Amino acid sequence: MTFTRQNVWELGSDWADPILWYARGVKAMKARPLNDPTSWRFFGAMHGFDQNLWSQLGLLDEGDQPPSDGDMKTYWMQCQHGSWYFLPWHRGYLLALEAVVRDAIAQLSGPSATWALPYWNYFKPSQNQLPPAFASPDWPDGTGDNPLYVVQRYGPDNNGSIYIPTDQVDQNALGDSRFVGPGQGGSQGFGGVSTGFAHSGQRHGGVESQPHDAVHVLVGGGDDQNPGLMSFPDLAGLDPIFYLHHANIDRLWEVWNRGNPSHADPADAKWVQGPASIGERAFAMPMPGGRSWAYTPADTVSLSTLGYGYDDVSAPAQPQIASRFQRLGMAPPEPGRRPAMANVELLGASQGGLSLTGSGAKTSVQLDHAVRNKVSSSLQGMTGGAPAPDRIFLNLENVRGVNDATVFSVYINVPEADDPARHPELRAGSVGLFGVSKASAMDGPHAGDGLTFVVEITHVIDTLHLHGALNVNQLHVSLVPRREVPAASPVSIGHISIFRQSP
Amino acid sequence: MQRAARRSDIWLMPFGAIILIAWLMLAFGGSAFSLPAFCSAETWSALPLSVSLDLARVSNTFVQLLLGWALMVMAMMLPRALLPLWHVRERSFARRRARSMLLFVAGFVAVWMTVGVILEMAAWLLRWAVPVAFAGFALAGAIALVWQVSPAKQWCLNRCHQRPPLAAFGMAADLDAFRFGLKNGAACAGGCWALMLPMLLIGQGQLVAMVVVTLFGFAESLENPARLAWRWRGGGKPLRILAARRHCVSPISSPLRAGFLSIPP
Repeated sequence: MTFTRQNVWELGSDWADPILWYARGVKAMKARPLNDPTSWRFFGAMHGFDQNLWSQLGLLDEGDQPPSDGDMKTYWMQCQHGSWYFLPWHRGYLLALEAVVRDAIAQLSGPSATWALPYWNYFKPSQNQLPPAFASPDWPDGTGDNPLYVVQRYGPDNNGSIYIPTDQVDQNALGDSRFVGPGQGGSQGFGGVSTGFAHSGQRHGGVESQPHDAVHVLVGGGDDQNPGLMSFPDLAGLDPIFYLHHANIDRLWEVWNRGNPSHADPADAKWVQGPASIGERAFAMPMPGGRSWAYTPADTVSLSTLGYGYDDVSAPAQPQIASRFQRLGMAPPEPGRRPAMANVELLGASQGGLSLTGSGAKTSVQLDHAVRNKVSSSLQGMTGGAPAPDRIFLNLENVRGVNDATVFSVYINVPEADDPARHPELRAGSVGLFGVSKASAMDGPHAGDGLTFVVEITHVIDTLHLHGALNVNQLHVSLVPRREVPAASPVSIGHISIFRQSP
Repeated sequence: MQRAARRSDIWLMPFGAIILIAWLMLAFGGSAFSLPAFCSAETWSALPLSVSLDLARVSNTFVQLLLGWALMVMAMMLPRALLPLWHVRERSFARRRARSMLLFVAGFVAVWMTVGVILEMAAWLLRWAVPVAFAGFALAGAIALVWQVSPAKQWCLNRCHQRPPLAAFGMAADLDAFRFGLKNGAACAGGCWALMLPMLLIGQGQLVAMVVVTLFGFAESLENPARLAWRWRGGGKPLRILAARRHCVSPISSPLRAGFLSIPP
């Protein structure tokens, strides 16, 4: 038996059966008390829980009975972010939700034998709008109380219109040939770098940063006073669209795995056996019938063994890294012979920090001459042996703020008087600050360190190199928020640095 | 990839050598390299405070005090500096890495040397004020226990995990590396001072106590940051790892393989 997750926009109608039965399952879960491990709020708290935030939004009732200490320690506040466990943990989370929804569907005599969660592929043309069933407060018959509708969903323009601006998201992570990057300022890899149990890790992996983080905060919107559910990790699991978004992220994992024979999940025992193998919390999900599922990443790697599949796992056209050799006029290495690119070295750094408010902020990053020359040589194929041009990464270090629903674009070397929007060739990418407020709390586990975002700027450096504009002492970095950042809740960036990653 | 990873780890070797040499000198170097003797003296408590202090100064020169502490810091505390040193190395230009790391260590050690003098004085005062040797040790142990379970200890431990922005060029880079060493050393000292105090008062078996405190403290530094709360903490991670290894079940035996997720019906 294979459950097939289908594209929500290609089900045939807005309220096709998979969506209608999802709504009925969600309604049943929402009707259960907080301390029922199969209730909607219990599942939300498994992703993240902040009592103040939940109380602020009226998500806790006076009559609520808290779950037992054991249940909270086993299940709550588990989501893995900034970690190589991001993908496997969320796959388990989706599987558990599906099992619980399917159980509810069975009790309603619905199609439990075939039902699977749809996914939302916002990259497909004309499919970047929120699926209509989630945007209406009514059921298809016009009656209210649609459980898929969420008031606290404010969107990218903070006006309740929910869509994904396609210029703010990308799938470039699919072009990363390694699941685990070297980190240290270089690539975080497709899936993230080695960590222990990381409920709120500091550096997000490739697919976690884009599109995952950006979609979260673009859909959720809001601010620290009126937070959108999707924008904050401690609320996100309460929005039914969360699971369709994560089904798409999960699908991208499958796309990446199938995209190239050299792509492989980590074989390191610490990843395979999960954080419990290093003396940390185990991944655990409640299942119907009072059962519990403790799982490891190894349990999640094979979708077919799990009895799942997607209706579309085709790779998008030519990811960025693969097209690079062509751009630089170099012969690409033979398949499977790509160098590991494991050495990371600082190339340049800003003199200090930066505060992002209003419509944007600019700063300069001073380059080290000797390291810059190494980069230039590698881009000219002068490094000897097989051509392996450096990859270049910009790090926004110690980013702090109170509003996760902030998205900004990063541009390199936009001429002083020009509008950055007129220079897409100089645009490095977008950053969504999903999780930043939690990481900025002085009394929290990060002690106010904030998050560090790693943005690949290789293609911009290539462009500068090809235009003879790389032989400079400094690069100018512009940060352009999608909507103005209020002066009362600025985003502070501790430091900006640039790294080269070489064989 | 593994070869490259090994290459990037090679900088750890000099620090490992320093730690090893410090332990060997403490273990086999004789009294010249041991901690000051006044910590184990038992007769000074009967003397007036000023006389006792004079005697302590006569039997332990300042140089001897500093040397003993420096060795102890290298042996016991340098292992805890290795994780923040990764951050210093990562955020420095390749040609400046050694310099920045040494500046970090200088700041880190400077804090511990200062704290060491204060702790020695506290141990000496405690020994003088509490006539029964074991009672002084027990009092220091009780203080350590209260500190161990306090939110204040967690506050310090969380700060041990802080990784601040570091300047990369010129004097600013040097200052930032040194300042980070000071801050991390202060956080580390805040987390560990209470464990050091009973160790100074234990008398016989001090070397064994140092090994125990080092292992306990290092294990504690491996724990993730956590919310501030009154609770027992530290030391359990190696045991949990051993337990996990013993009970590790092959993923194949997971109930998933039996179609667990396809319920219902």
